[in-house]
Amino acid sequence: MSKEKKVLTKPKVAFFDFACCEGCQLQVANLGEKLLDLLGLIDVVEFREVMSEKWDKDYDIAIIEGSITDHHAEERIKKIRARSKILIAYGSCATLGGVNGMKNSFELEEIRKYVYGDKYHYFDSMTTKAVDQVVKVDYYVHGCPVYQPELVEVLKCALRGIPYSVPDKPVCAECKLNENCCLYDKGVVCLGPWTRAGCNSWCPNNGNFCYGCRGLVKNPAKNAAKDIIARYKLDEKLMKNKFDMYNKAKEVSDESKK
Amino acid sequence: MKYHVLEKEQLNCFIKSLAKKMKVVAPISKGHGNYVFGEVKSADEISLNYVPTILPPKKYFMPTKEKMLDFDLSGKEPKDTAALDLEEIAIFGVHTCDLAGIQCLNIVFNERPRDYNYLLRKEKLFIIGLECNKYCDEYASCTLVNSHLPNGGYDLFFTDLGDRFLINVNTQKGEDFVESIDLPKAEPKDMTALEKLREEKKKIFRNEIDVDPKKIPEMLDKVYNSKLWEKVGEKCLSCGNCTNVCPTCYCFDMEDFINLDLKTGYRLRTWDSCQFETFATVAGGENFRSQRSMRQRHRVYRKFKFPVDKFNRFFCTGCGRCSRTCMAGINLKEILKEVAEESKF
Amino acid sequence: MDINNSNWRIRRGKIIDSKQMTPSEKWFEIALDEKELDHEPGQFVQVELFGVGEVPISICSSPTKKGSFELTVRAAGRVTREMHKLEKGDFIAIRGPFGRPFPVKTMVGNDLLFVAGGLGIAPLRSLINYVMDNRREFGKVDILLGSKSPKDMLFSDEIGKWGKRLDVNFACTVDKAEPEWKGNVGLITSLIPGVNLNPERTYAVVVGPPVMYKFVIAELLKKNIPERHIVLSLERHMKCGMGKCGHCQIDHPKNYYCCKDGPTFTYDEVKDAKKL
Repeated sequence: MSKEKKVLTKPKVAFFDFACCEGCQLQVANLGEKLLDLLGLIDVVEFREVMSEKWDKDYDIAIIEGSITDHHAEERIKKIRARSKILIAYGSCATLGGVNGMKNSFELEEIRKYVYGDKYHYFDSMTTKAVDQVVKVDYYVHGCPVYQPELVEVLKCALRGIPYSVPDKPVCAECKLNENCCLYDKGVVCLGPWTRAGCNSWCPNNGNFCYGCRGLVKNPAKNAAKDIIARYKLDEKLMKNKFDMYNKAKEVSDESKK
Repeated sequence: MKYHVLEKEQLNCFIKSLAKKMKVVAPISKGHGNYVFGEVKSADEISLNYVPTILPPKKYFMPTKEKMLDFDLSGKEPKDTAALDLEEIAIFGVHTCDLAGIQCLNIVFNERPRDYNYLLRKEKLFIIGLECNKYCDEYASCTLVNSHLPNGGYDLFFTDLGDRFLINVNTQKGEDFVESIDLPKAEPKDMTALEKLREEKKKIFRNEIDVDPKKIPEMLDKVYNSKLWEKVGEKCLSCGNCTNVCPTCYCFDMEDFINLDLKTGYRLRTWDSCQFETFATVAGGENFRSQRSMRQRHRVYRKFKFPVDKFNRFFCTGCGRCSRTCMAGINLKEILKEVAEESKF
Repeated sequence: MDINNSNWRIRRGKIIDSKQMTPSEKWFEIALDEKELDHEPGQFVQVELFGVGEVPISICSSPTKKGSFELTVRAAGRVTREMHKLEKGDFIAIRGPFGRPFPVKTMVGNDLLFVAGGLGIAPLRSLINYVMDNRREFGKVDILLGSKSPKDMLFSDEIGKWGKRLDVNFACTVDKAEPEWKGNVGLITSLIPGVNLNPERTYAVVVGPPVMYKFVIAELLKKNIPERHIVLSLERHMKCGMGKCGHCQIDHPKNYYCCKDGPTFTYDEVKDAKKL
């Protein structure tokens, strides 16, 4: 335990963004006092949203936001990985493919034409990938946007060199402890029962349903979905669409593996 | 047995006097038929007619997150200090099912090696029960497990007699408080009214599943390998709702957290659930209850079999929370009926 | 009731020696500030790494050894991996000892057959060394050991000594041999038929990975050893050690808490469990 403490130089940390809304970087910038404490522990050497400096040496920790959606991005993430001791994917776009993965519901050529018109071939594009579908990821911070307390927990683990395990239980587990009125009692489709916990049921705490932005638990209960749809007289298609909002990129890769 | 009387319009005075001494929590409405125990300052915030709260009052006895230890790694050798955060709380309006739940937890944490954190916290809690004159809803099965009537486990116990509450005083702590606010003693007519109410209750509260509760443990012995658990497992989401809301579930996990100085930190005891996928997994990866069916069976045995062998009582209080909260509609009464049916063969 | 004397009380000590036995297993010798751990063979402790977590580890030394105790730790999870970074001289804290020990008293006067696979030698060693130190109290002693390969064999120096004793019958086998290995090759079950035993007066103590139990027990039953004479030590994730947290409960109609009712069980107690 004591050995790491003797390191005098602070770890060099860089933030990078790929296809995303940069909302997760905003979550970092909004950490407030916690951010000041963090800055006492690390040297931020690149962070496009708040500074213009670049770093030409290796990174101790690279923190990646956004999904990989074109060939240039694919090359760039590989280069970052090669220069980083630890790589953290944060935000749904990076960890799952996120909303960018909705593109994967369509034929690539068609959707390119639809978005860019007949000059579409000037705009490089490919099937949306999560970061771990291109390079090895050491830590995950799921969420759209990331949940600040979890981000801080993961950073603490990364700085101490110990693993962080994303809870493999549904959001309900946390939601129930927060004594939220079950969304299904309100007649609303909620993805909490299949989505990984770790966000302290952030959305239901604020009256919203779970969008599934953290991805599915390892062994989601598929059969039970039918019972829920029947019990609350829900629209099966609506439920499926809600799943696809964040989880499409992962689904494609899982199928191609089979 | 000592009884006092509180006129209903005096309830607010009662709550306010109590709130001067300590934090008062009571059932409050959350909408959509949901209730929770939460802090109140006056009687009008309280829902006297409530369906069991989302979480039972066990959350005050074993908090969802409980600090057990503080540590400091900054010196040559780590320092550690046992932590215990206590708060004096009066819990008002606890139904008899939840009183039974607290009694179950008391037994568990009193069993050696005893759990000091639980036992010391319990001493700070002032429990005021409230009798159910009728069923809360169709999920309840309190008569089956005989928790529809008070069986101790409270400081004071309220029974609604229409225009007034009859208050049974069960402890010195309760007596001291009742004395401090000069509540009148009950008269014979109050006792007659109580008897009449209990007679009425006998007509309303009947064994909900028509199965002799004494036979349930041996029935379970026969159906351990039954297909019925697979049927339940098919429905199960492994979300842990049924155990989190259960007044007698007490499984927990221990987690360490470090502060941002990376030197000081603390250890939490957090609620855990035997329904979670990873609950019975060991470090090498082997999961000893890998199927949902095994986990659901485990839950039922932990209510109706294991505690009977060990403590000679059911660890089900008939509150109905597990069935009420299950999105997929797993229903404990239905399971027990099926157990009874299957065990015939 | 003072919270500082709680049953969650932490006992502090120092690592007085350590050795990397294999790439994944490390051995520690620990001396507590209050000197004696006061354990019995087959018990375990919870090792405390503040800020990382707790982990249950079987005690691999005999209580006949005074002043310190020993643990063998496989790096399998977050806490054990972190524990591998500890060295001689480092601070360590534990809770315990916990668990029902091996039924040493009922074994006195009987023949003993020890069967250990892989890391199973660690908890079993606490009993084997106890028996060696009280050799007069017991009848015939047979020790059967199995490991993946010769270099995975734990405590090889000590095992060598057991093998040389005249009052012990010893055999070992490896799943996969290397060219210089001259011993048996094959599963541990293959050693059992060759043991000469009197089933009524033999206690078989078996410790190994879950997959091993089924096959070893089948062989022992073929030898007519009574079910209540077959003693196992089961692996579960004990988190509290006090029969409360629920994690280690066995999937069995009796719902034993492995940490309190076990980890040692006789086969007749747990034979209805889906997995041993």
